[in-house]
Amino acid sequence: MICRPAAVRAMATRASTMTVARRAVVQGIPSLSTLATTTASSPVFTNSTNTAAQQRFQSTAAAVAEEQATTGTSKAPKTFVPTPERQYENFTNVEITADGVAIIRFDCANQSVNTISFAVADEAKTLWAKEIEHNDNVKAVVFASAKPGTFIAGADIKDIKACENKQDLVPIIEDGVNMFQKIRAKKIPLVVAIDGVALGGGLEWCLWCDYRICTDSPKTKMGLPEVKLGLLPGFGGTQKLPQLVGVQAALDMMLTGKDIRPAKAKKMGLVDLVVAPASLEQVAIDSARQMANGTLKPKRKQKSTMNKMLEDNQYGRKIIWNQVEKMVNKQTNGNYPAPFAIMQSVEYGLQNPGDKGLKNEREQFAKLAATSESAALINIFEGMTAMKKHNFGADAAVPVKNIAVMGAGLMGAGISQVSVEKGKYNVMLKDRDDAGVGRGMSLITDAWKKKLQKKRMTQYQANINTSSITPLTDDNPVWEKHFSQADVVIEAVFEDLDLKKRIVKEMERVTPEHCIFASNTSAIPITKIAEGAGRPENIIGMHYFSPVPMMPLLEIIPHEGTSDAAKATAFEVGTKQGKTCIVTKDVPGFYVNRCLGPFLVEVSALARDGVSLEMLDKSMTKFGMPVGPVTLADEVGIDIASHVATFLSEADLGVRMTGGDVSLLQEMVNRGWLGKKSGQGFYTYPKGKGKKKFINDEVKQYAKMFVENDLKLEEKEVQDRLVSRFINEAAKCVEDEIIESPEVGDIGLIFGTGFAPFRGGPFTYLDQVGVTQYVDMMHGFADKYGPQFEPCQLLKDYAATGKKFRN
Amino acid sequence: MMSSFRLAASRGRTSLLTKAAYSTTSVAASKNVVIVAGTRLPFATTTTTYFDELAVDLQRLAISGLLTQTALPKEAVDYVICGNVIQEVRTSNIAREAAINAGLPVTTGAHTIAQACISANAAICAGAEKIMTGHADVVIAGGCETFSDVPIRLSRVLRQKALTAQKAMKKGGTLGAIQHVLKGLKMKDISLETPAIANYTTGEVMGVSSDRLSAKFGVSREEQDEFTVRSHTLAGKAHASGWYNDEITAYKGSTEENGIKADSTVEKVSKLKPAFVKPHGTHTAANSSFLTDGAAASLLMSEEKALEMGFKPLAYLRDWSFKACDPFEELLLGPTYCSQEVLSRMGLNMEADIGVFEIHEAFAGQILSNLTAMDSQKFADDKFGGKKVGKVDFDKMNTKGGSLSIGHPFGATGSRLVTTASRRLQEENQRFALVAACADGGMGHACVLERYDN
Repeated sequence: MICRPAAVRAMATRASTMTVARRAVVQGIPSLSTLATTTASSPVFTNSTNTAAQQRFQSTAAAVAEEQATTGTSKAPKTFVPTPERQYENFTNVEITADGVAIIRFDCANQSVNTISFAVADEAKTLWAKEIEHNDNVKAVVFASAKPGTFIAGADIKDIKACENKQDLVPIIEDGVNMFQKIRAKKIPLVVAIDGVALGGGLEWCLWCDYRICTDSPKTKMGLPEVKLGLLPGFGGTQKLPQLVGVQAALDMMLTGKDIRPAKAKKMGLVDLVVAPASLEQVAIDSARQMANGTLKPKRKQKSTMNKMLEDNQYGRKIIWNQVEKMVNKQTNGNYPAPFAIMQSVEYGLQNPGDKGLKNEREQFAKLAATSESAALINIFEGMTAMKKHNFGADAAVPVKNIAVMGAGLMGAGISQVSVEKGKYNVMLKDRDDAGVGRGMSLITDAWKKKLQKKRMTQYQANINTSSITPLTDDNPVWEKHFSQADVVIEAVFEDLDLKKRIVKEMERVTPEHCIFASNTSAIPITKIAEGAGRPENIIGMHYFSPVPMMPLLEIIPHEGTSDAAKATAFEVGTKQGKTCIVTKDVPGFYVNRCLGPFLVEVSALARDGVSLEMLDKSMTKFGMPVGPVTLADEVGIDIASHVATFLSEADLGVRMTGGDVSLLQEMVNRGWLGKKSGQGFYTYPKGKGKKKFINDEVKQYAKMFVENDLKLEEKEVQDRLVSRFINEAAKCVEDEIIESPEVGDIGLIFGTGFAPFRGGPFTYLDQVGVTQYVDMMHGFADKYGPQFEPCQLLKDYAATGKKFRN
Repeated sequence: MMSSFRLAASRGRTSLLTKAAYSTTSVAASKNVVIVAGTRLPFATTTTTYFDELAVDLQRLAISGLLTQTALPKEAVDYVICGNVIQEVRTSNIAREAAINAGLPVTTGAHTIAQACISANAAICAGAEKIMTGHADVVIAGGCETFSDVPIRLSRVLRQKALTAQKAMKKGGTLGAIQHVLKGLKMKDISLETPAIANYTTGEVMGVSSDRLSAKFGVSREEQDEFTVRSHTLAGKAHASGWYNDEITAYKGSTEENGIKADSTVEKVSKLKPAFVKPHGTHTAANSSFLTDGAAASLLMSEEKALEMGFKPLAYLRDWSFKACDPFEELLLGPTYCSQEVLSRMGLNMEADIGVFEIHEAFAGQILSNLTAMDSQKFADDKFGGKKVGKVDFDKMNTKGGSLSIGHPFGATGSRLVTTASRRLQEENQRFALVAACADGGMGHACVLERYDN
């Protein structure tokens, strides 16, 4: 295996360490979860929102506003008006030092971060022509950002969306590339000074330069995350990056979309120098001057002999392609075109360097931009961004510093972990005794130890995080003193209504008046918990998914009497914990589990109709689910799956929970086959590393017991039967106003169950296949199998009018 | 009382500077120091529970435990002082690293004290001095020790060669460096140096010193073994009854201290062979304290600050003594000298006034020698002008076990003694407690605590 390329290696380790739940999110869109986290602080692609804050030229904007106010025009639009002090919208005025170094600083007006857009490229062209191109005094150029702590956060997604016919992107991108080529044509040293994020188009800009300097700030990270949106780096990224860091490292970066930190960037040759933020600009100017007078010659990183053998000839490269392709296929199930386009673009560029490679790259880009997969991923991204905001009032939320978590089991520990790690809250974690809370603490600290080993966290950060959690027990009455400081209590104790009501009473006695009480129940109505409470307005449901640190969704469930303050607080806490929050009505199963119910019933129905367990799994992974239903049941635990199924069977879903027999699960619980955790579920999980799960004969026999009539179903029908139950329930949730909109419905099922991300969620999927056809298909199933397949009214309405759920 | 006298004296001084725009005298009037709380990580036999932890982690967890136990806001801590003996080079100011990693504000100062086995006592008293002089109101004082990660070094010869190899490399390249290292190297140089529990000046291992001291005071092997079993039995009982639950911060969910052998018997203990002086010595592996990993932390405050913050202090820290004696002759006899000093200064009578004793058990022979010396007329005649320190009532001493059974992490023991003594004062409703401990180098310590009436 010596010749296994780095990219493959990276992906392989990722795959082997991935838990199913994580894969639920990760697969295909290589790590949507990371996208979620990176975008929280620094958008990869941004919707350029006009935030008037932090403007260096506020005076200008104010002046414009004032002028318009006096002339009687209504609200002042934030249009840029050039002044001698500020000639460009996206750049500060060019400075030229005495020894001929021109400093060009990015500074997108009215935006908190810089983004690359076609307008920026256009203006850069003007700036270059006017100030640099014919100015013989300029001997070198430094590119920098006027916004401290951020270089360029990426390309503006709106440009792509605005383009009706994606083929039109080709000439526009060509224009941008021409701009770079024109800049290079002056043949003076180009130095770029990077402090903060340089992502996507931002990093590509750096790649066109001769010398890259970045700061050692923790905010500094570089990457080409286009793949996460089903795209590729179109401004020469696939052409320039392999030249700089080698084919394997370049593929690794572009296929995973991961961020590169300063130290790693220096090591791999992505940057030439790492300096402290305070000396960045001076070092950049000095370097530019020295390069201009010939005293500094950039040293490119030498490839190792092994890499030379692999990368610099077509035979070696063939080995790389084979390996990478295998890996990508495995990871994406062939469902995502972007990784393949990236590989094609790199390969083509290696054989046809220069203009031909660049031309091919942008053609590939336009092709990808036109795919439904990319549209779906962009939809998800936009939905996620939009769902960071709530409308319960900007100042409604209670200020939160301290969160008390009751119950240190898997859920409680997970909630504590994200509260500290992501939310930067102080956490009080309480359980019955030292042993209980100790187990929870170990779960958390072990997770951080792993991050430490992977260098995703420093020892200091791990220690500080640990000390931000105060372990408390019933045995030691000091817990009350701690809880008197709690702003939010999240309970994750047993699903027992009496216990929960008792806790509510206790909390109302101990915690301050403003303290929000959130229950992480998945089965008990929040209304019931709030019954008889002294401060019912403070009670709300916060339903996390297991394992909490991996799963990006949070369901927020207000009851009738929940105050806006409680809603806003739960939402903001959840968002800070790194979760995408959806608000659902207080109904059995809320949204996600409610949709899973009929799906689980259908699994048992299909088993009855002779579909093998393997086929059940395979049909769903082929559809694009991260794991099949059988594996999923094993992963969450057969007992839990059985509980959910039984609970929902007895709930208000009526005919929609019929058609199958979920006692199949209960029987397994009786036999002690609890799934992965017990080593035996549907699959047998042999102990020891690298051993694969398999279905043993006993289970096969068991499954056969439930077969009534082998219908010898085709894979397509298996898929459709499973998915339609799922989708119909999602639509019914919109119909019943359990969730707010189809957009929320899409995000909820993708983030909550891993619903094929490239299909954009159930509603986007319906739009893509056509609601009318889908409803017809369901009617067919209803005739054949029973009323459980009857499409809900909303679906019928949409089918009748031909309306689309998403635009 | 001592403190009220101090208070009056300093008040006199402060009145002199009312006119001056700047101050040339001490910061403030002397304040009463109270012990508010204390905790320790479970002490554990070395290379067991804490095999993977650094000393700094143990101290960090002890500080976190103290904060949990007291619900003290982190910002309230003015200063941190910790004791530590066998130092890890990376954390030479271990108090600072532990404090900052426990999430205390980066602006909270900290320093580390090395005074062998009484390091934590030194830390507590240094903290008390800060409070008395008005330099701080809230101090965390404690200590830590791990023998699971002692610095093991190359031999001196190899260290010297390693330090000079680079120079040789510059001159003669890799080959030159190798030549330099090998030149004159003897087989015996290829060895490792592990730190020994021996005194630098006398070169004597501590067990040997204690063994000689016991012989001098006529403490028999049988007495030592009996005392050892007593220690284990009492510690075992205290744990079993849950007495330590409020004093120990659980580590990974457990408060078990694995050195305690509650079922030990004199019969079993007496079978062991001498460990230091062979073959006639009286000190064995059982009646000597074992190598222990652990950490502890005490919360000290000025009385008014404690009350203002709503705490119920356990005890006043009234006075103390740090004295040294001849390390060649009576290395571990410090407790006798220090107890004599602190008690006579406070005008207390040991037998009549002290209701709680917590005396460090480095070796059964050492503590019994000290008790003998305290009650010896001859010794009193020789050293204290005829006035005996007094007889220690066993029923009041180390009734919850001691270092022989619980263990003895050098840097941490002092904090454990003070916490246990303070809690016992409250529970046993006694007025004064005497804490005493010996230390390497002939150092000793004793302090007097007074119960705080809430």
